[in-house]
Amino acid sequence: MSIPLLSLIVFVPIAGAAVLMFMRSDDAVRWTALGFGIVDLALCIVMLAGFDTTTHEMQFTEKYPWVPALGITYALGVDGISALFLFLTALLSLISVLASWVAIDRKVKEFMVSLLVMQALMLGVFCALDLFLFYVFWEAMLIPMYLIIGVWGGEGRVYAAFKFFLYTLAGSILFLIGVIVLYFQGGETFDILALTAQDLPFGVQSWLFFAFLVAFAVKVPMVPVHTWLPDAHVQAPTAGSIILAGVLLKMGAYGFLRFSLPMLPEASLYYSTLMLVLSALAIVYGGLLALAQDDLKKLVAYSSISHMGFVTLGIFALNLRGLEGGILQMFNHGITTGALFLFVGLIYERTHTRSIANYGGLMKAAPVYTAFLALFTLSSMALPGTNAFVGELLVLSGGFAANLAAGAAAVAGALLSAAYLLGMYGKVALGPASVSAKYKIHDVNGREMAAILPLAVFVLWVGLYPRPFLGIIDASVRNLLVQVHGEGSGQ
Amino acid sequence: MTAAALLQWVLASIPEIIVVIGACILLLVGELVRKGRDELLLWASVATVLLAAVATLMLAGEMRPAYSGMFVSDRFAVFFKLVFYLATVLTFLLSRKYAEIEGIGRSEYYALLLFALVGMMIMASGIDLLSIYVGLELMVLCTYVLTGFLRKERRSNEAALKYVILGAVSTAIFLYGVSLIYGLTGTTQLDRMAEAVSGGPLDPALLLAVVFIVAGLVFKIGAVPFHMWVPDVYEGAPTTITAFMSVAPKAAGFAVILRVFLNPLVEASNAWIIVAAIAVATMALGSFVALVQDNFKRLLAYSSIAHAGFAIFGVVAGGQDGTASVMLYLLIYTFMNLGTFGAVIMMRNGDFSGEVIEDYAGLAKFHPGLALLMLLYLFSLAGIPPTAGFFAKFYVLVALVERGFVALAVIAVLLSVVAAYFYIRIVMVIYMREPERAFEPALTPLVRATLAFTAAGTIGIGLFPAWFLRLAQQSAFGG
Repeated sequence: MSIPLLSLIVFVPIAGAAVLMFMRSDDAVRWTALGFGIVDLALCIVMLAGFDTTTHEMQFTEKYPWVPALGITYALGVDGISALFLFLTALLSLISVLASWVAIDRKVKEFMVSLLVMQALMLGVFCALDLFLFYVFWEAMLIPMYLIIGVWGGEGRVYAAFKFFLYTLAGSILFLIGVIVLYFQGGETFDILALTAQDLPFGVQSWLFFAFLVAFAVKVPMVPVHTWLPDAHVQAPTAGSIILAGVLLKMGAYGFLRFSLPMLPEASLYYSTLMLVLSALAIVYGGLLALAQDDLKKLVAYSSISHMGFVTLGIFALNLRGLEGGILQMFNHGITTGALFLFVGLIYERTHTRSIANYGGLMKAAPVYTAFLALFTLSSMALPGTNAFVGELLVLSGGFAANLAAGAAAVAGALLSAAYLLGMYGKVALGPASVSAKYKIHDVNGREMAAILPLAVFVLWVGLYPRPFLGIIDASVRNLLVQVHGEGSGQ
Repeated sequence: MTAAALLQWVLASIPEIIVVIGACILLLVGELVRKGRDELLLWASVATVLLAAVATLMLAGEMRPAYSGMFVSDRFAVFFKLVFYLATVLTFLLSRKYAEIEGIGRSEYYALLLFALVGMMIMASGIDLLSIYVGLELMVLCTYVLTGFLRKERRSNEAALKYVILGAVSTAIFLYGVSLIYGLTGTTQLDRMAEAVSGGPLDPALLLAVVFIVAGLVFKIGAVPFHMWVPDVYEGAPTTITAFMSVAPKAAGFAVILRVFLNPLVEASNAWIIVAAIAVATMALGSFVALVQDNFKRLLAYSSIAHAGFAIFGVVAGGQDGTASVMLYLLIYTFMNLGTFGAVIMMRNGDFSGEVIEDYAGLAKFHPGLALLMLLYLFSLAGIPPTAGFFAKFYVLVALVERGFVALAVIAVLLSVVAAYFYIRIVMVIYMREPERAFEPALTPLVRATLAFTAAGTIGIGLFPAWFLRLAQQSAFGG
C-alpha cells in the first residue's frame, strides 16, 4: 500500500485543528470541524473496506525510525481489534461534534481544537505498533481531556478535571516503568510485535502484569480505582462524556488485549481468577450504585462501570466466546452508552436539570426523543434484538465456562441493570407530566437526529446481524488465544 | 614550555578569553553609552556570547588539554558551554524590557552576567579541583551581586545577604574537602586522584572528603539538605536573574558533579547511596512544598528543586546513558524553564507584578496565544508527552532501569505525579478562572522572539528527540 492510510487517519484531525486555529467565526469553526470529522470517518471506512478479515497479521503497516539510539520507531498498523475501534473512535468523535453544536457556546474554537486533537490521539493509541509511540499518544490524551472537562464542564469541573488527571497520570506512570523494564527484558526494542514474540520468565511477567494492571484498571475503570469516573462524567460536557465513555474506557480493555494477554500470557492465565473476581465485583457494585442515583448522568456513569465489568469478565475468561463477546461488548458499550450520554445532554440543554425527580411524562412532549431513548435503554439492558444482547450472551457463556461464580454474579448484574434502567425510563418518559411541564421541551431537531440515527442503526445492526462485526475480530481473537494458551487452542 | 604549547593552551581557552575581553570592554566603555541607547549594551553582550559560541563550535572537533592538566576543552565541556550560551543569550533578550521597567539596565548588569558565564565555562572545562574552584567562585560572586541588584528593594537585599552567607559556608566546606583530598592523595587533579587510590583498600577519610565536596556542590544545584536559600533568593532576585540562576549555574553545578562523580575514586567510595538519598529527598521536598505556594516565583523555585532531584537520579544511574540523560535533561530544562520565566517576566508591567499565581486568572480569555504557550511549558515541566519535558524524564528513567534501579525509578515517577499537580493547577488558573483585570503584558519583539524560540525547543525536542539525544550521548564521557 503506497498511501500511508493510517497516518492520514491519525493526522487528518490534527490538520483540522491547525486549520481551526486560524478561523474567527464560530459557525465556520463548527462546520469545519464537522467536515474534518466526516473525512476522517470516510478514511476509516476506506480502511475497513480494504481490510482482510482472514488474517491476524497487522495490516496497512507503516514503519519509520524515530529515535534510533533507543530503538524507537514510528510504527502503525491495525489488526481486527484495532480496526473496529478506529471506526468507533471516528464515529463517536463526529457525533461529539454534533452534540456540542449549541451546547458549547463559548470558546467554541478552543473546544473544537481540543476535540480534534483528542480524536487524533485516540486514533493513534489504537494503531500504534511501538510501545513508546503508544505511550506518547496514551499520555498526551490527558492534556485535551483535562481542558475539555475543566473549561467546559459543570460547576464542579475543576475538581473533576484534577481528579481525572491525577488518577490517570498516577496509573499510567507505573505503566511507563513497566514499558522500560520490558524494553530491557525484551532485547532493547519497543516494537510491540517483537515484544509479543518474547518469552519472558514468570517472575518478570507477574511484576509487569501488575504494573500494567494499575494503568489499565484506572482507565477501564475497575473497582476500586473507579472513583474518578462519576465525577469526570457528571462534570464533563456532553461531548466529553461521549468520548470518555465511548472511547477512553475502551483503552484500558484494549491495553489488556494488546499487552497483558499476548506479552504476559502466563501471568494472565495465573491471575485470571483475580481478574474475574474484580470484574464480577465491578458488575454488581456498579449496578447497585447506579440503582441509587437520582442524577441521570451519574446513573449512566455507574452503569458504565458495571458494563465495563462485563468486558473485562469476557476478556479474562480467556476463551473464544468470552473474548469475542468482550470485544464486541466494548464496541456496543461505546455505541449505547455514547447514545445515552447524548440523550442526557439533549434533555439537559432544554431543562438544565439532570435530576430524575424533575422529570416525568416526557413521552407527550417529545415522542421521538422518548422512542429513541427506549431503544437505547433496552439496548443497554441487553434486550434480545439489540447489540448488547449478542455481546452479553457471549460474555456470559464464556464467563460460565471459565468460572461459575463469576458468571452467576454477571447474571445478577444483568438483572440489576434492567432494574435501574427501566426505573429511570419509567420515571422520565412515562407517568404524569406534572414537573417537567414547566420547561419548554421541544422534540429532537434535524441536527440532533443526524447524531442519533447512526447510533440507532448500529444498535440494531449488531443486534440482528452481528456476523460482520465478529468476522472482523475473529482471526485476531483466535491468534490471541494461541498466544495465551499455546498452539492448538483456537477452539 | 614552548611558544607553540602556549599557543595551544590559549587556543583551547579562546571562548573564555573572548567572553572576558567582551565583559571588560563593556565595563570600560559601557558607562559612556548615552541614556536611551541602552540596547547597544544588549547587542554588544549578545554579540560577545555568539562570538564565543562560534569559537567553541570551531574547537569542538578534538579534545584539547591545556594549562598543565588544569583545563580541558572536550565534547563534554562543549555541550555544557552551549547550554550556558543559550541560557545567557535568552536571559539577555528577556532583560531588555524588564531592566527598563525596573531601572537596572546598566552596563554592570550585562558585564556581571558575562563574568558569571566565564565562571561557568571554567567549571565545565576544569579537570582539577582548584580550577573548578576558581570558576565556581567567579560564578557565585557575580550571582551574589546580581541577586541584590534591585538596590532599593528590601527583598532583593535580604536575598543577596542570605545567599552570600550560605554560599560562603558551602564554598568553605567544598575547599575543606579539596584539602583533605590533597592530604590523602597528594594531588587535586581528577585523573591523578584516581591513580593514587587504585589498588589499595579505601581510606575512610576519603569518604569524608568526598562527602564534603558533595556538600559544597549540592549547595550550588539547590538540592536537599542545602536548598534553604533557593526560595528566598529566587523570590528576591530580579526575575531575569532568577530565570538565569534556575538554569545556567545549576547546569554548571551538574557539569562539575558529573566530572567528579564519574571519577573512579568516587565510584569506589560507594557515594552513590548518598546521592540516591539526596535525589529522593530533593525531589520529595521540592514537589511537596511547591504544592502550597501561592507566589509564582517561589513555586518555580521549589519546582527547580524538584527538577534538580530528578536530574540527580541520572547521576545515580551513572555510565554513559546516565551522564547523557543528565545533560539532555539540563538542555531541555533550559528551554522550558526559561520559557516559563519569559512569560512571568513579560507579565511585569506598570504596577502589575505578575508574581502571584492568582494574577494569571483568566489569561486564556484575553491572550489565547500566550496562554497556549504557558500550557505548553507547564505540561512540559510536568513531563507530559509529546513535550520535551517528557523525553527528558523518560531518558533518565531508561538510564536508571538499565542499571537495575527499578525501585528508584518508581519513586521518581510517583513523585513526579505530585509535581504534576502544581503545574496543572496553574493551567487551571489560566484557563478555568474568570479574569479579574485586564492584562497588559510587555510583549516586545525581543520577548516574543524568546518565547517563540523556547516554545520551538520545548515542542521540537519532544517530537524529534533523536538528534539531541545523539548529541548528548556523544558528548557524554564515561561509557
